[in-house]
Amino acid sequence: MRKSFRAGAVAMLAAATMLAAGCSAGSTAGSQSAATSDPNQKVELTYWAWAPNLDKVVELWNEKNPNIHVTVNKQDGGDPAVTKLLTAVKAGSGAPDLIQAEYQKIPTLVAADALADLSGTVANDTKSHFPDGVWNDVTLGGDTLYSVPQDTGPMVFYYRADIFEKLGIAVPKTWEEYAAAAKTVHAADPEAYLGTFSSNDAGWFTGMAQQAGASWWGVDGDAWNVKIAEDPTEKVAGFWGGLVEEGVIDNKPMYTPEWNTALNTGKQVGWLSAAWGPGVLEGNAGATAGMWKAAPMPQWDASKPATGNWGGSSTAVTSQSKNLDAAAKFATWLNTDPEAIKALVKEAGIYPADTAGAESSLTEAPAFFSNQPDFYKIVGEAAQNVGSFTYGPNVNVAYNAYNDQFAKAAQSKQKSAFLDAVKNMQQVTVDDLKKTGFTVK
Amino acid sequence: MAMTETRPGPAAGTTADTPRRAKNFTSRVLIPYSMLAPGIILFLVFMAAPIIYTLVLSFQKKKVSGLGLGKGSQSTAFAGLDNYVSALTDPEFLGSVLRVLTYGLILIPLMLGFALLFALLLDSRRTRAGSFSRTAIFLPYAVPAVISSLLWGFLYLPGVSPFHFLARQFGMELPSLLDPNLVTFAICNIALWGGVGFNMIVMYTSLKAVPSEIYEAAKLDGCSEIQTAIRIKIPIIAPSLVMTALFSMIATLQVFAEPTTLRPLANSLSTSWSPLMLVYRDAFTRNDVFSAAATSIVIALATFIISFLFLRIVQKRAFGQEN
Amino acid sequence: MTALATPPKNRRANPSPRKASKAGKADFIREKPSYVSTGILILGALYCLFPVIWVVAAASKDGTELFSTFTLAPSTHLWDNIVELTEYRDGLFWRWMLNTALYAGVGAIVSTWVSALSGYVLAKFDFPGKSGVFKVLLMGVLVPGVILAIPQYLMLAQAGLTNTYWSVLLPQIISPYGIYLARIYAAASVPGDVIEAARTEGAKEMYIFNRIAAPMMLPGLVTIFLFQFVAIWNNFMLPYIMLGDDHLFPITVGLNGLLNQGASAPALYTLVLAGALLSIVPLVIMFLLLQRYWRVDLAAGAVKA
Repeated sequence: MRKSFRAGAVAMLAAATMLAAGCSAGSTAGSQSAATSDPNQKVELTYWAWAPNLDKVVELWNEKNPNIHVTVNKQDGGDPAVTKLLTAVKAGSGAPDLIQAEYQKIPTLVAADALADLSGTVANDTKSHFPDGVWNDVTLGGDTLYSVPQDTGPMVFYYRADIFEKLGIAVPKTWEEYAAAAKTVHAADPEAYLGTFSSNDAGWFTGMAQQAGASWWGVDGDAWNVKIAEDPTEKVAGFWGGLVEEGVIDNKPMYTPEWNTALNTGKQVGWLSAAWGPGVLEGNAGATAGMWKAAPMPQWDASKPATGNWGGSSTAVTSQSKNLDAAAKFATWLNTDPEAIKALVKEAGIYPADTAGAESSLTEAPAFFSNQPDFYKIVGEAAQNVGSFTYGPNVNVAYNAYNDQFAKAAQSKQKSAFLDAVKNMQQVTVDDLKKTGFTVK
Repeated sequence: MAMTETRPGPAAGTTADTPRRAKNFTSRVLIPYSMLAPGIILFLVFMAAPIIYTLVLSFQKKKVSGLGLGKGSQSTAFAGLDNYVSALTDPEFLGSVLRVLTYGLILIPLMLGFALLFALLLDSRRTRAGSFSRTAIFLPYAVPAVISSLLWGFLYLPGVSPFHFLARQFGMELPSLLDPNLVTFAICNIALWGGVGFNMIVMYTSLKAVPSEIYEAAKLDGCSEIQTAIRIKIPIIAPSLVMTALFSMIATLQVFAEPTTLRPLANSLSTSWSPLMLVYRDAFTRNDVFSAAATSIVIALATFIISFLFLRIVQKRAFGQEN
Repeated sequence: MTALATPPKNRRANPSPRKASKAGKADFIREKPSYVSTGILILGALYCLFPVIWVVAAASKDGTELFSTFTLAPSTHLWDNIVELTEYRDGLFWRWMLNTALYAGVGAIVSTWVSALSGYVLAKFDFPGKSGVFKVLLMGVLVPGVILAIPQYLMLAQAGLTNTYWSVLLPQIISPYGIYLARIYAAASVPGDVIEAARTEGAKEMYIFNRIAAPMMLPGLVTIFLFQFVAIWNNFMLPYIMLGDDHLFPITVGLNGLLNQGASAPALYTLVLAGALLSIVPLVIMFLLLQRYWRVDLAAGAVKA
C-alpha cells in the first residue's frame, strides 16, 4: 500500500507538472519574478473586485499604463472574495495582487496576514484625500497602511414621496416620528410597511448601531474588548423589536423576490439605506423612478445629527503580491485620480471616499432621483456626520451571529427576543475570540 | 464496507484464468494493478489524501498572541481531541443532526414510496402516457440544486407565489412553507422533486429486467395487478430498493445546497441548519478550518456507521434466504 | 481476430430482454387502460413540470413585470432577456455555458473511462487484495464533496493549479459510484469466455478492454457518463472554491454570482431566470436523446446471476 502510494504520488506530480505546462488558462496572481528594478519591465496585476463595471474603469488605467496591466476578476461580493483570499493565504499561493476589501473585513485580513503594508509606497501620501474616520479604518489606528479607501456608504432614508404626500406624513426627523409614520402607513394599508427589519443584513444593523453611538470592538492595551451588548445597540434593537412586535414594521429579510415585489407595488414605502441606494432601487423597482426621495436619517437626538455607514470598501494589496509598488500605484490612481473617480461614479455607481473627488464628481443627481436635484447635497451632509466605529478581528463571527440570532428574534416578533439577540451576539463574539486565544478584556 | 456482501458477487465465479497463467505473477498481480492504476492514483490524490489532510487539521488549532494583528502573531498548535470534544458537545451541531434526521425520516419514505409507485405504474400494462410521464418525472434530476432551490424559493414566498395568489382570490390565506414549523417540508419538497425521478428510473430498470413469463404465470393464477405488484414485483426488486434507500440516506446526511439557497429568503433557517452548513460556516464564514475538519470527520464516521448498520439489518431480512 | 468481431453483435442482443418484454406487452395491449393509474402518473409528471413551466413564464418578463404581474402569466420579453444576458460583460454567459460543457462533458468522458476500466478489472480479474481495493474505493461514496473541497484546494494550491480548468476537472474524475456501477455492468455483460478466447489469440489486456469489453459494456457506460455528467454539472462547491476568474466559471457559479452581488448592487433576477432556463435546455435535449440508456441498475447481479 505504501509503495503504491509513493508511486502514485510521483506519477501524479509528474502529471500535474505536465498539465500545468500544457494549460494556458489563467494561472493567477502576477507571480512573475520580482525583478522590478527595470521600470520598463511589464507587470501583470490581478484584481479581485465585485463593484459593477469596475473593469471599464480599469480599462482607462490600462490604456495609459502599458507597463502595469491590471486584470479584474469579478467576484460574488465581499464575503466570498474574502473567503477565497483567506483560503489562498492559508495555501500559500493563489491570491491576486489586489482585492476590493470592505472596511469591516480589514482587521480579519490583517489578522490572517493577508494584506501588504502600503505605508512605504505612494499610497501613504493620500491621507489628506480622506475623512479621518475612513483613514482610521484602513490603518486600524496605527502607522501601518493596509488599504486605500474607495467608497463609503453614509446612510440616508429613502421614502416614497408620493405615498407620504397622499397619507399626509411629514418626513420623520427623529426615530419617534419614524415610529409614528410607520403606524400611519400600516394603518392606511394593512399590507404596507414603512420598512422591514432584515435579519440578513448585518451591515445595515451595524450602520444603525453606529448612528446611535456604538463601536462594537475596542483595543485596550494588548487586549480586545467587545462592546455589542451596550446601551446604543440595545436601544436600536429594542426600538425595532418594539415596532416589529406591534406589527407596524415587517419582519422579512431584504433583497428577496418578495421584497422586490413590495418595492414595486408600493407595499414597502421606505428604505433605510446608504448612498449607493439608487442603483439598487433602480435595478429592483425601475418603474418607480421619480417617486422616491432621499432624506437624512431619523435621529435619536435631533440637535446632534449623526449617521452610520453601510457598506463601503477599499483597495488592498495582498501579502502574496510580488509587485507591491506597482499595485500601490494603481490603487492610489483608482481612488484619488479625478478621472478615475468620475469613472467610478459613472460606471460603478459608488459614493467616493475621496472628499474632494466626491464633491467634484457628484454634481448631478442620479437619474432615478431626477426629481430631487439636491440629492447629493443631502448625501454629502450625511457623509460629514458618520461617527467612528472600530471593527475587530472576528467581524464575520459577529455578523454570522447577527444573522442567526436576529432571524430567531424577527420570527418571534417579540421585543424581548430582540434584546436577547444582542446579548447572544456579544456572547458568541467574545467566546470566539477567547477560543482562538485572543486576549479579551 | 458491506455493500459487496449484499449479493453473492458475480465476479467470484469468473476466475476463468487457466491455471498456467494464474500462477504467473505478472498476470495475477501486475496486470490488474497497472490497469487499476488510474483509478487508484486519482482516488489516493483526490480523495484519500484530502481525507488524511482533514484528519491532520482536525487535531490542530489556531493560536494567537496578543491582539493577533502583527506578522506571525498567529500560529497553529496541536489541539489533541479538543476539536472533537467541542464538536460533540456543541448544541448547534447536535441540533443540526436532529433536524437532518427529521428531514430524512420525512423525505426518504416519501421519495422511495413515490418512486416505487411511479415505477410500478410505468411497468403496468394498463397505464398510458408512460414515456411522457417518465421523461417529465425524470427531468428535474437535470436541474442543479442551486437553481431548483431558487425556483422553488419563488414559488414558496407568499408575496410572489402563484399558490398564495390563487388562494387569496378565493379569500383564503395559505400558511407560508418558509415558516419555522414547515420549512423542513419545504426543503423535503425540493429534494423530492429533484430525486424522485432518479430513484424511479433505478426501480423501473430492475422491473424491466424481470422476465415477463413470471407475470403471466401470476396472471394465470388469478393474481390482480396490485397483488402481482406486492407479492412478486416488489420482492424481486428488493435489492434495488435497498440500494436506493442507502444512497438516499447518504445524500440526506449531506444536505446542503437547498437550505443554503433558501436561507436568505426567510428567518426560519439558521446558518447551522444542517451539519454540512455548520461545517461550511466554521470553515468559511468563521475561518476556523480546524473545527470544521473535526466536524467533517464526525459526519463521515456517522455516515459510515449508519450505512453499515442499515446494510446489516436489511441484509438479514432481504437476503436471508440466499445466504 | 474473428473472435473479436462477434461480440459487438452480441451486444445488440443485450438490450433485447427489454424489447422482448415490450413485444410481450403487445399481446396484452387490448387490456383496458386504467384511468386511475394513468391519472396518478400524469399528476406526478405535472408536479415535476410545474417549476419548469413557471421558469418559462418568469424568464419572459422584464424586471418590473417579474415583481408585479401574476407569476404564471407569460410576457413577451424572453428574447430581450436573452439579448441582455448575452450582452452582459461581452457574452460571459455563453462562456459559462461552454465551460460547463467542458467540465461536465470532458470530465464525464474521462471519468467514465477510468470507472469502466476499474470496474472491469474488479469484476473480471482475480488478484490478491481485490475485495480490499473495491471496499476502499467504495468508501469514497460516503465522503461529502463539501468536506473534500477545502483540503483539495489547499493541495492544488501547492501545485499552483487553483484557478485553472484543471482544478475543477481533475478532482471530479474519480467516481466511486461510477466504479461501483461499472463493476456491475462488466460482470453482467462481458462473458468470461470471450475474454479468455481473446487472450488465447494473444491480445493484450488493454486491447481486450478497449476493443472487446468496453463496447460490450457500452449501454451501461452511457449511463455512467450521464450520471457523472449530472454530478459534475450539479457540483457547486468545488468550482466555487477553486476559481477566482469568472471567465472559468461554470454556469451554476456564474448565475449564483449574478444573484449575490453584495448589498450595494441589485440581484439580477431577470438575467438569472433567463440563464436558468437556457442552461436547462441542453440537458433536456441530451436526456431526451439518450434516455433509452438511462438504465441505472444498482443491483443487477442479484437477479441475473
